[in-house]
Amino acid sequence: MASIDDESTFDDPAEALRLIDLERANLERELAPDPRLMYWPWGLAWLIGSGLFFLRWGPDERVLVALPDWLPITVMTVLLMVAGTITGMLGARSSRAVRGLSTRQGQMFGFAWSAGIAGLVLVFSRLSDVVPVSRQGILWGGGLVALIGALYMAGAAIWDDRSTFVLGAWISGINIVGVLAGPGWHALIVAVAGGGGLLVAGLIGWSRRR
Amino acid sequence: MSDTRSELPELDPVIHAQARLRVVSALSQLREADSIAFPRLQEILRMTAGNLSVHLRKLEDAGYVAVVKTHRGRTPATLVRLTRRGRLAFDDYVIALRALLNQPEEGS
Repeated sequence: MASIDDESTFDDPAEALRLIDLERANLERELAPDPRLMYWPWGLAWLIGSGLFFLRWGPDERVLVALPDWLPITVMTVLLMVAGTITGMLGARSSRAVRGLSTRQGQMFGFAWSAGIAGLVLVFSRLSDVVPVSRQGILWGGGLVALIGALYMAGAAIWDDRSTFVLGAWISGINIVGVLAGPGWHALIVAVAGGGGLLVAGLIGWSRRR
Repeated sequence: MSDTRSELPELDPVIHAQARLRVVSALSQLREADSIAFPRLQEILRMTAGNLSVHLRKLEDAGYVAVVKTHRGRTPATLVRLTRRGRLAFDDYVIALRALLNQPEEGS
């Protein structure tokens, strides 16, 4: 960028408009976290975690790969915690410089995620005695993915962000298809279409801001 | 200069200087009622602290920008935001630029 010490003006209005677009885009890019880092950790968690569920508890109670029972849930939990930590830190870092309405909205939205997930986990763990093991994947996976899809759409409403809305609608849609298809299939659909959808979302967001 | 010149919209001299246009453009991208920390703004605009201060002062004098010194915990923080008046002035400025661009090039 040229020297800006002076009171230099423009003769060409087009040049001024270009400068406006440049600085607006630059601020946006500097403040918003890299979409790849925001979506890919979640995409990988779903792809790998839900993929392991599919292999261990396949459709019609088939065992495609004889993994230990504890492995899929452990891997899934660890990956989701890593993803939550990464996006939480990035979100906090990028919003640190900005204060005002956005900060409060971001905090409230963050609480909505925590409260929703904690509430569902509590309800589901209370039910784990009475729900057959073969149906628990649907209960946990279906419930949590429904919540996440709805929260993405709600977030899109707060920040007027069409592409996040599409992502949330996609996640909600494939979740319904998966639940109707039944246990096993749900895990496969969430892994491939859900995890894959998040990876694609990160890629699209990244390519748009370059 | 022909007579058509006088019909052209006037450009706000406070905004129509490169450095201040850059500051106002960046701030206009924040949502209304959001402020940004001075050092971060300086980093994003790639300006020196002194230079940014000078231009912020001029924008503040015009009522376009509000600069608030506050504390975040124990650390002092300076927060900058576009005022409602500044946002309106920026919108008017952009409209004026567009009007200038659409102005047919008649005998100059």
